[in-house]
Amino acid sequence: MGIRFLTRRLGGAVLTIVMIVLLNFVLFRMMPGSPERILLGRVPGVPPAVVEATKIRWGLDKPLFPDQFVAYLAATAKGDLGFSYGERGRPVADVLLQKLGPTLLLFGLGELIAIVIGLALGAYSGWRRGGIVDHVGNAVSLVLYATPYFLLGMGLLLLFATGLGWFPTFGMTELGVTHASFIDLLIDIGRHLFLPLATVSLGLVGQYAILMRSSVIETMTEDYITTANAKGLTDGRILRAHALPNALLPTVSLVAINLGYVVAGAITVEVVFNWPGLGTLTVEALEARDYPVLQGVFLLLSITIVVANLIADLVYGMLDPRVRT
Amino acid sequence: MIAPPLPIAEEVPFQAARPGAGAAHVFRQLLRRPNGLVGLAILAVFTVLAIAPELFVGPLETAVTATGPRLGPPSAEFPFGTDEVGRSVLNLTVHATRISMVIGLLATIITVGVGAVLGILSGYVGGRFDSTMMRIADFFLVMPTFVLAIILTAIIRDVLGTGSKEILGMRLSLLVIVVVIGLTSWSSTARIIRSQVLSLRERAFVDRARVVGASAGYIMRRHLLPNVMNLIVANAVLTFAGAVLTETTLSFVGLGDPFQPSWGQLLDAARSVGAPGLGKWWYFVPAGTAVVLVVFAFTLLGNALDEILNPRRRGRS
Repeated sequence: MGIRFLTRRLGGAVLTIVMIVLLNFVLFRMMPGSPERILLGRVPGVPPAVVEATKIRWGLDKPLFPDQFVAYLAATAKGDLGFSYGERGRPVADVLLQKLGPTLLLFGLGELIAIVIGLALGAYSGWRRGGIVDHVGNAVSLVLYATPYFLLGMGLLLLFATGLGWFPTFGMTELGVTHASFIDLLIDIGRHLFLPLATVSLGLVGQYAILMRSSVIETMTEDYITTANAKGLTDGRILRAHALPNALLPTVSLVAINLGYVVAGAITVEVVFNWPGLGTLTVEALEARDYPVLQGVFLLLSITIVVANLIADLVYGMLDPRVRT
Repeated sequence: MIAPPLPIAEEVPFQAARPGAGAAHVFRQLLRRPNGLVGLAILAVFTVLAIAPELFVGPLETAVTATGPRLGPPSAEFPFGTDEVGRSVLNLTVHATRISMVIGLLATIITVGVGAVLGILSGYVGGRFDSTMMRIADFFLVMPTFVLAIILTAIIRDVLGTGSKEILGMRLSLLVIVVVIGLTSWSSTARIIRSQVLSLRERAFVDRARVVGASAGYIMRRHLLPNVMNLIVANAVLTFAGAVLTETTLSFVGLGDPFQPSWGQLLDAARSVGAPGLGKWWYFVPAGTAVVLVVFAFTLLGNALDEILNPRRRGRS
């Protein structure tokens, strides 16, 4: 991989992160009401001396640019995201860190399952275009694409938790239960995880299947597939050795780009199942207008996605020499 | 946008508008395709509901005018049951059609309008303007726009205040959602239009127009815009689907307006009272089905249009 390719991609990612951090600063300053009033809790009748002291205490007496901006940059770089209004003034970074685990568990696993099943399904229906799997798969994928994640979650919840009673309806563990062993805890989490995980996987699987299908169909029109056919290779061999590796390429970057959309689904699915992750936190912060937490969530999610895209770009560059320019 | 745009190949040249290939021709072709026909039929039903909900279920019920039991199951009087204050869910769902569809329509107009203008400018003017625009578009493509939309909606509403101002019969809080959806989803349209304009720019008719002294503005309006119109329409249909999904999701996380409920707002209300956990399926299944049907119809229609207008896809599925 050339140095130019690396620096261009890295530079792009850094620039994007700078824009995100800038946006975060500007958005926060757009808010109505002066910051010192918000810090003082909007109580009427605060003596001017107290307001003045608060301003000095938080550096609000200094100009917005460059003083406040530099202070913001320095704090953000150190991982200091301010304090939550809602969670009794806990540091935002702590709050986020606590909610990160459940979200990673749910969406990491969900992505993995969806990618494996979606790519396999898409590859098969693209390969056997017009077959039964293709027709049924296409229809199901389109319907799933049209269904918001949370709606799917509400349906599954209604059927399997409320109706059939197979799974618990909310949370990550049973409330008020002390687990005898670590295995018991895992089983409990697993039972709670099943439905949200199924929702996430089902929601994503359609998109990946559609992508992979069109990618395989695109690849099948290439000259080297005709050549492989003319050489008398078996169908299975053409698929495995020629079509699949090439068809998989575009899905690498598409999976990364999709992450931005997955986030929206993440937020709502967690809300439906009361999963104690970043999504539920976001909606709670939204209701309480806990802006520091919202800004922290935005910063964390967008930087994660930029980094994921950078990694996808680099992987793509390693796999496909044509884009290393 | 909540859902990624379905893959329309960017680099594929769309059929240039030629004489005789007008809207009527495209419409006839749409009716001949099963996906186009089904899409149009579903949308026709919802359009009628959106235009005249009163005709079917009477005026929108409020907590004051509600007559039913609390969270009552479907009955002869209330075919879809009632909500937590005794309003008919059928009444609410039918009235929500207008709110959801109008927000979707307005957001689509903004998204596609901004995307088309910036795409044509970026592709034709080129140079530094183009690279800056595309850098910004990339930024929106990578970012979790939904989280940005949540924050923007909350902040803009706080700035404007929570009055009950109405513009054109829409409450201000809903117009904020419209603008935010437009602001956060124009970038993919801009990209698609730009790449088409890039190839059009090199064509002889643009050169000829320039040689006879046409201004850049004239060329963009009279030569480039008509030639990307097909692309704009196909893109608008898919954008509409995305806008309805985004609005539904934004309302679901609590940014809807209870006084002008959309489908998403109803779903949020159903979740808030724990309808799925209590087995009160009638509260959210109607609104949910409506969302899925409308988005599904737009996606079918978008695909059908793509097949008709996109020469590389003709004869392929």
